[in-house]
Amino acid sequence: MRKMVIFGYSKTGREIAKLLKEEELNLTIIDENPMLVAEANEDGFFGRYSSFKDDKIFSEVGIGKDVEVLFCVSDVDSMNLFVTLSARNMDPNIKILTKIVQKEDEKKMLLAGANRTISPYEVGAIKAYRIIQKPKVSRVLDQLSRLKSKISITEIEIPKNSSLDGVYLKDAQIVKESNLIFLGILDVELGEKFIFFSKGINHKLDGGDILIAIGNKKDIRAFEKKIWQ
Amino acid sequence: MLAKFLISFAYFLESSKKYKRVKTFFYNLLENPRSKIKPYFDAFIISLVVITVSILIYDVDHHLAYHMVIIEDFAISVFVFEWVGRFWVSANLRLKIIKYHENLLEAGKREKLSEILKIIVNQKIAYIFSPMSIIDLLAILPTYRPLRVLRIFLIFRLFKIFRYTKSINSFFKVLKDKKLEFNFLVLLGGFAVFMSSTIMFVFEGGGKNPNIHSFLDAIYWAIITITTVGYGDITPVTLTGKIITVFLVAGGFLILVLATSIVTNALSEKMDIVREGKVLSQINKMENLIVILGYGKMGQVLADELRRGHNNFMVVDLYEENLAKAKELNYIYMKADVSKYETIKNIVFKNDVKKVVLTTDNDSVNLSILLTIKAEKKSIGVIARANSYENIRKFYIAKANYVIFPYQTVAEVAVEYIGSSVKFDAIDNILVQKSSITLDEIDIEEENRYIGQTIEETGMDDFSVTIIAILKDKDKKNLIFNPNHKTYKIELNDSIVLIGDEKNIFKIRQDMIRSTA
Repeated sequence: MRKMVIFGYSKTGREIAKLLKEEELNLTIIDENPMLVAEANEDGFFGRYSSFKDDKIFSEVGIGKDVEVLFCVSDVDSMNLFVTLSARNMDPNIKILTKIVQKEDEKKMLLAGANRTISPYEVGAIKAYRIIQKPKVSRVLDQLSRLKSKISITEIEIPKNSSLDGVYLKDAQIVKESNLIFLGILDVELGEKFIFFSKGINHKLDGGDILIAIGNKKDIRAFEKKIWQ
Repeated sequence: MLAKFLISFAYFLESSKKYKRVKTFFYNLLENPRSKIKPYFDAFIISLVVITVSILIYDVDHHLAYHMVIIEDFAISVFVFEWVGRFWVSANLRLKIIKYHENLLEAGKREKLSEILKIIVNQKIAYIFSPMSIIDLLAILPTYRPLRVLRIFLIFRLFKIFRYTKSINSFFKVLKDKKLEFNFLVLLGGFAVFMSSTIMFVFEGGGKNPNIHSFLDAIYWAIITITTVGYGDITPVTLTGKIITVFLVAGGFLILVLATSIVTNALSEKMDIVREGKVLSQINKMENLIVILGYGKMGQVLADELRRGHNNFMVVDLYEENLAKAKELNYIYMKADVSKYETIKNIVFKNDVKKVVLTTDNDSVNLSILLTIKAEKKSIGVIARANSYENIRKFYIAKANYVIFPYQTVAEVAVEYIGSSVKFDAIDNILVQKSSITLDEIDIEEENRYIGQTIEETGMDDFSVTIIAILKDKDKKNLIFNPNHKTYKIELNDSIVLIGDEKNIFKIRQDMIRSTA
């Protein structure tokens, strides 16, 4: 089972926990505030109390060993920063997502070892902006997330020696014929850079590249089979 | 007979498109604060006022040249035209008469001339005696020969300038609020003047002081002394007079200091209100205004985005420290309590507001604003931020058009990340608009050459955009996901949702309205 840790049972932490509940995970919640720990336990999660300065508990729950992802989403920026630093210190490979309040803090958190930063205010504001400026786009996004069971965004790795290995995108018949929308590709040769197809470059596909596609789950499965034909 | 004629004339005007167009034009020219031509017209009138008043001054000891008389006559005719125009657009009589007639028809009564005349007189007389109209009239009337005596009233033309400057009005309003203090000051000053002039007159009047011939002279002396002007044309000659003068000067000094402090105080206290008045008149001229209520962290990011998209928007917050950033970035902002009805009324109801975004971190405040808006004007779209999960439903019950729960949204983003970072990057890039690749929408309106063509035929594919979905019909309820490029034919009122480079999407927009010829 994949192991994940949420530091901070804040509003953001709660929502993350709620979303992760459905997946088969080993989830631990750590908080400085015993009340919040109690709440987490009440909500059916495994909550643990620990001071943010205390590395012991963090290593006890598996950071540095088998924890894959750490969410630093407490309401206090300095605590998030500290926990991010200590976790990165314990495990160079762990994925760390840290909450920030201001955009200006992003660089600092990345420097401290976070892989990614997330800001509820930024995300919320941009969502509001999209609703104002692009109401139809918002509607489509809403619909897609509601249809999550049917339509999903997925990554498809191109296997070596498959029919797509070494083919130019625009020449690939199965890409043209499939019912999927291809957004872009992560090219291993180009230093793991994500490239949107909308950039208009006729890209050469190689084994190991990862395609990002949106579509019906059925179509996705059909496409994955077709690659081998 | 005449009544019938008036009613049918009203209907005739109502049916005439030309009449309405002309009237709208004059309304825009003279009264509509949002029109584009009014500022030019205002500037024109103000310069005319300045010119005619200069002519008036020149006239005192010069003989008017021929061309000056022409300018004067021209200005007068413009003023008359302006007044008549305002008189005309001040009320829509025809609508009132039609309404009156419709009421009559329902009641089955016959029309009466007297009642129709009453409607006309009521509406128009009210305009004639409004302060603004009186100022205008005073600027025109003295030109009429028999009223030449009133020439001095030509100076009232200067008042016309006030008509166009809002800040002066708000200045007087501020002083009006300090009425009590001013009354006290006038009383105090009046008392001091009356007392000292009486003493002066008693002791120095009646020939003792060669310069004081009457009580009026004594009052004149007292006022000149108390205001610290002190011309010195009348000076005390007796000891008593000198003592009184010393006290009067000291008292005058105090009164002056007091008056200064009252005005400065009033101004500094009311600076926010003065600013508010200015902001309100500024937003009154804007179209499609977006109002952000609450300029916290979320409000700040939203404002930045809106600025980047060249939208008309303003921010409102109660706290100075929140607004500091808005001040710095030169946004239109106002310091006001958003939970007050007055604030909402002045900002939202009185202007052309397209959307209201509630971003405070207090759900009860957000909800109460939402209900205030929806109770009065359902048509205004409201996007509300919910701060706790339990309240999302309440916002929808209160008829919010959209509810954003930022913590959930950010959690979704975060969970997306653990699935796979590549996918996350892709989505994040699009959603947070980090690159030139954006998610956008294109509306297919009339005279669009894409109508009737399949997606392949339109050539949209050449711009390397990725079409996600097409929303159909006017209400956009029907969604076609991933339309087939070979078979789907674009129709009128479709909206295409696509991913692509900003530049390419712009090119498509241009390409589709290009004439086929």
